[in-house]
Amino acid sequence: MADLTTKLGPLTLKNPVMTASGTFGYGVEYDQEFFPISELGAVVVKGIAPLPVHGNPTPRIAETVSGMINAIGLQGPGVDKFLHDPHYMPYLKKANATVIVNMWGKKIEDYAYVAERLEQEKDGIAALEINVSCPNIKEGGISFGTNTESMKSVISAVRKATTIPLITKLSPNVTRVADFAKAAEDAGSDMISLINTIPAMAIDVETRRPKLANVTGGLSGPCVKPVAIKMVYEAAQAVKIPVIGMGGIMTGLDAAEFLLAGASAVAVGTAIFADPYAPVRVIRELNEYLDRHGIKQVSDLVGQVII
Amino acid sequence: MNDRCEILCHEVLQGPYRRIVFHAPEIAKTAKPGQFVHIRILPLRDRILRRPFSICSADPEKGSLTVVYKIVGEGTDVLSTMKPGDVCEILGPQGNSYSMPKDDEKIYPILVAGGYGSASTYFLAERLKQKGAFLTGARSGADLLLIEEYRKLGFDVRISTNDGSVGHQGFVTDLLAHTLREAGDRKPVIYACGPEPMLIALGKLALTLGVECELSLDQRMGCGVGACFACVIKVNDKTNADGWRYSRSCKEGPVYNAKEVYLG
Repeated sequence: MADLTTKLGPLTLKNPVMTASGTFGYGVEYDQEFFPISELGAVVVKGIAPLPVHGNPTPRIAETVSGMINAIGLQGPGVDKFLHDPHYMPYLKKANATVIVNMWGKKIEDYAYVAERLEQEKDGIAALEINVSCPNIKEGGISFGTNTESMKSVISAVRKATTIPLITKLSPNVTRVADFAKAAEDAGSDMISLINTIPAMAIDVETRRPKLANVTGGLSGPCVKPVAIKMVYEAAQAVKIPVIGMGGIMTGLDAAEFLLAGASAVAVGTAIFADPYAPVRVIRELNEYLDRHGIKQVSDLVGQVII
Repeated sequence: MNDRCEILCHEVLQGPYRRIVFHAPEIAKTAKPGQFVHIRILPLRDRILRRPFSICSADPEKGSLTVVYKIVGEGTDVLSTMKPGDVCEILGPQGNSYSMPKDDEKIYPILVAGGYGSASTYFLAERLKQKGAFLTGARSGADLLLIEEYRKLGFDVRISTNDGSVGHQGFVTDLLAHTLREAGDRKPVIYACGPEPMLIALGKLALTLGVECELSLDQRMGCGVGACFACVIKVNDKTNADGWRYSRSCKEGPVYNAKEVYLG
């Protein structure tokens, strides 16, 4: 068994496998029905905004070849309910999970407000993930993540509001992801994560209507993995801060591929919908891969692609 | 619970409708009417999502689980080619269930089904001690399912079809008023599964008539365990300025009391 301990800037995780925000709810369903969520490197919860959010009308998802398009629209409880309702943060603490809180807003002040509220009650929160890359909301989200200057303003505002370690989740919807990785580092982000979903659309040819009520959505699943690997590879070369890689990881070998490309940790997302045990299976399979290659420490694999 | 389950029997009911029986002892043990199973159709290699199916019947003694489905797309098309001995991964039983009356409660159950919604209410008909009416509506006679099975269980079957090929021409809701009179001194309770417009119309009618009514609702589903928030439906919520909120039909549902559902 290799040592899976993963150092991510200010964080030390028991292993490099997390859940991708939005694909694991707030962890409670999996902890109660499938496996102890304390076994994961971290649980990244679904995006938290200042106030409760309805999200988009249905249908909210459509299947594609080797993937899916979603436009959930960040339905969520809002920061106060998240901190105090027993189904959210109190549950995660009780379950001994390593918690990363994904957060978003429509305005810069929203991001700062959520960060302040979390700072005030930060017990049990390992890190914040700043979502500047959701393609499914009208304001905020991706509009901050596709312009380096506005992204930096968001990160700076959050940085001022909290001492909790920060992850910035980057959008794949940019020309040069390395520029955004660097901008996030410069603005004080402790880590970056990528990729968020890729803007996408599907049409039912019989009815001529879009398959999603929101018309467009974000593509995820194994079909996006090669795009994600390339972006992680480019981002990791541009920065010194750790990179968390995600996009279509279904197996431990996929996780190893992201590590080779330069990610220090990975997140499993859409795979969880096919197999609720996917994150713990990925940990096991990654371990088997490391053993098979005689690698004693998972960190020895990071960035080791041979070019 | 996520199990690899072998297919025991797979047969054509009629046209595009199939009945499939799995060896699924753990699921059969605890399954309740109204719940569903989320099935991963393993030969569908380039499609990663599971497909949800109402549980049509579960036999804890034999360890068998029955699903009735219609071939509607790629997933069910590939499922229909699977044979006894083949294996599916089944997650379940998922979701809540119809509220079961006590065996000695004086109720008159009125099961209402649109199309293959009759698979969901069939499991309830099997488990109910009280016998009542089964109202079923479909596009035409070829889409009416399990009629003889409901009769065998002692239910009084009433039919409507849109084209009038069998039974009353019109909607299944048209049959309700007459059926309610059959209840006599028993308390009528409606349990319904079918297309959303039918369920919304039925829910409104039941509320107007002051009849207890449970509706099985869903939307296109992702995870099936409450994590992805894809399959939401609108429910009343007075604490919210809009008067409603989205509820996960895979977790808080699929069965909702008509009083809970936001009927617009």
